[in-house]
Amino acid sequence: MDEKYDPQMQNHQMSTWFDELKRKLNHMDDAEVVEHRMGNCALVHLLYIKTLIDQERLNEAIIQPLHRCAGNSLSLSIINAKVSEILSIEDAEQKIMQGFILLNDSVNDQWLGVQLENSLGRAIESSQTETVIYGAKDSFSEQIDKNITILRRRLPITTLKTESFTVGSLSKTKVVLLYIDGLINPEFVSLARKKIESVNFDQFLDSAQLAAFIEDHHHTVFPQLLQTDRPDACAYALGEGKLTLLVSNSPFALIGPITFFHLFQSPEDYFLRWPVASFLRLIRYGSFIVSLTMIPFYVALTTFHYQMVPLPILFVLLESRSKLPFSPFVEGFFMIVTLEIIKEASLRMPTKTSQTLGVIGGIVIGQAAVEAGFSSKVLIVLMGISAIAFFLVPNYQMTKSMVLMQVLLLILASFLGLPGIVIGIIGILAHLHGLTSLGQPFFAPIAPFYGKDWIDLFIRGPLIWMKTRPGYLKPLRKWRQEMKK
Amino acid sequence: MALYKHYGLLVIVSLMWMAGCSSQYVENSRIEEIAPVVFWSVDKGTEGKLKISTLVPPLIQEKKRLLSKEVDLLKQGGKEFNLIYYQELKQGQLRMLLINEELAKKGGIEKLINTILVDPDISMRVYVLIVRGDFDEYIKNQLTKQENQDYFLYRMLKHYEEHNQGEMSIVNIHQFILKDPILPVFHSDKNNFNYVGTALFQKDKEVMVIQDMDDEIFQLLDNDHFLKVLAIPKLSISLGRVRSNVHMKLSRDYSSLSLHVGLNARIEEYQGEKNIQSEEQLEHLIHEIEVYLEEQTSELLKSMQRLKVDPLEVGTHSLKPFSKELTEEQWLEYWRNMKIDVDFDIKIQPLINVDR
Repeated sequence: MDEKYDPQMQNHQMSTWFDELKRKLNHMDDAEVVEHRMGNCALVHLLYIKTLIDQERLNEAIIQPLHRCAGNSLSLSIINAKVSEILSIEDAEQKIMQGFILLNDSVNDQWLGVQLENSLGRAIESSQTETVIYGAKDSFSEQIDKNITILRRRLPITTLKTESFTVGSLSKTKVVLLYIDGLINPEFVSLARKKIESVNFDQFLDSAQLAAFIEDHHHTVFPQLLQTDRPDACAYALGEGKLTLLVSNSPFALIGPITFFHLFQSPEDYFLRWPVASFLRLIRYGSFIVSLTMIPFYVALTTFHYQMVPLPILFVLLESRSKLPFSPFVEGFFMIVTLEIIKEASLRMPTKTSQTLGVIGGIVIGQAAVEAGFSSKVLIVLMGISAIAFFLVPNYQMTKSMVLMQVLLLILASFLGLPGIVIGIIGILAHLHGLTSLGQPFFAPIAPFYGKDWIDLFIRGPLIWMKTRPGYLKPLRKWRQEMKK
Repeated sequence: MALYKHYGLLVIVSLMWMAGCSSQYVENSRIEEIAPVVFWSVDKGTEGKLKISTLVPPLIQEKKRLLSKEVDLLKQGGKEFNLIYYQELKQGQLRMLLINEELAKKGGIEKLINTILVDPDISMRVYVLIVRGDFDEYIKNQLTKQENQDYFLYRMLKHYEEHNQGEMSIVNIHQFILKDPILPVFHSDKNNFNYVGTALFQKDKEVMVIQDMDDEIFQLLDNDHFLKVLAIPKLSISLGRVRSNVHMKLSRDYSSLSLHVGLNARIEEYQGEKNIQSEEQLEHLIHEIEVYLEEQTSELLKSMQRLKVDPLEVGTHSLKPFSKELTEEQWLEYWRNMKIDVDFDIKIQPLINVDR
């Protein structure tokens, strides 16, 4: 706290604080005000919210020392706890809500705060959203300090800086900005700092909400900050010259600035042999294109461009579409929406009933739709391939965005055929080219062109060749290798 | 605002680029509402008209019908077919054009081919065939036995086209206009449709059909440079996997041509009297084959000279840097009087079982 300390002012205020605080804690059943008489008969008032503090530590660190205390000084009695002086009524209010015990030292006429917050939270578990076969199994949890500890263990250097902010007028959410000083481009840090400080909103329940305030473009479907709960991905990003934001009560960290291509990268890419990792990465890009364009292609070909279908396949298509009442567009749109309903339901349903959903979904989509004459067999096959291809993109937010792009291409294909798909793809590329992440071009290293960064773009080149950090990040330390003395 | 300008410009440029290939206005071609035509058979009609036929519906499970129309123009036929069938017949999937031999002999098929070539909907990969006999009768008869006969015919041609296996001369429509054209000839009657040989054309008129051994030599000299089997009954021998390496040399005054053909093959069958395990006798046999092939080739070339056709494109060897190009008439005159020296050199492999 940077408030100026004025003893006279404080003395005047001290007497009114107790009543003021009691008034504020009125109608809060879990707020407790306890009186204790110290050894020399001095009276001490303890104020705390019992649901926020650790009761055992309260006994050990405060109650028992107070009973044993023979001296006059309250702060000297409580030596095995972190004690800080309260300087203002606002400070007192904030601290009590953060799990502090407030003590009124009537002898010295001062208020002290002891941090004894309840460390209730889940243990470190493996990531459920970004699973890997090889690589570290730990993941972030809701406790921000634990998250910082996990990161600090991976980067035990003093240049890993942390800056704390509080956002949200109701949630008072703690946000920690992490970066490696002397490596990261300082522009990113100052921009992020400025953006966090200018946030004005009431509640932040997840880092994704904060991302909405920090991102440069709010109306796009592409996430411009990477959300991850993997500490190894965060540590790697910090080492590359990116920054990380940790938000309290959210297990997902935000990484920025990122490019479009980061949405296709998995931490595991760096743990596998490079030819294997490169192959997997290419498959991911391929499946992205397949999942976006397969159904629109089907609609375009069956509606306008029968000439382009090889004759043996035309055989199959004609037969499967010959008795359908719907146009290819309606058929495609209906199947996409049905699939989304099933996907969404499988997320919301309890685990025990998800098997039923799988069976019903499989029968409805696979068999009944064909037999009822609502859909062609060919579309079901294409739908299946495209639905599985969606899941190859590691970023879940991106997967959800892709459905919207698929529908856009589908509509264009139904009106304009293949030229429609081409126009749609050009539009998406132009849009991507216009995006920025923390002020940096989102489509780098393709546009603007950074040739050296291509080694970790469509392929994941050998690590021994990745001698420099990504050029588009403009890091202060370009080389990954230490200079030999 | 500037952003929208960029997007607008991008869309206009891409549309212009795409329209370079064809119209950007797409046509309604929902596949369940159309009937893609797989082949057109063109015959001589009455009073100088064309008789064109096709099968509808070509693909889906429905009783097929053969449609025939006598028309003056090819496209007129396509239009009139539409009026007698409930689905719209589309030519975008045209894969075969069958032309009756009588029509080919009369001439004028180049115009038919041009009509198809300039249609942007129709691919360049359309097989052109000459049919000797009545194809309509054959297809009508086959309908009761084999419904998708048109499709199987296409698969047959596609099979022999791929990998140049040397069985047939398969010609795509765009190849017809590039050089002295050739086309495959098929014989058709009520029950059969079989390969005959290769038709040679002179100024868009069929002048000659080469068959059997001549056709096989033609495949070796120009078309495929490969034969799976070259059977020579006269010498009781079958050569397999025959690969040829043809070398032509024209004299400076175009009075003579030396044609050297190197053949690599293996003996697959021999029913003659010679002991082919003896090196001496084998050499003798090879020599006999060489002489036989030389005679046959000379005869074939002589007949080509007589008819003034040059499907082997010997004329291209007259082109030299910084020299004046010969006109077609000049070349054909030289070609007709040219003395041709044919030399075959056969290498038989493997020779591991030969007694030396």
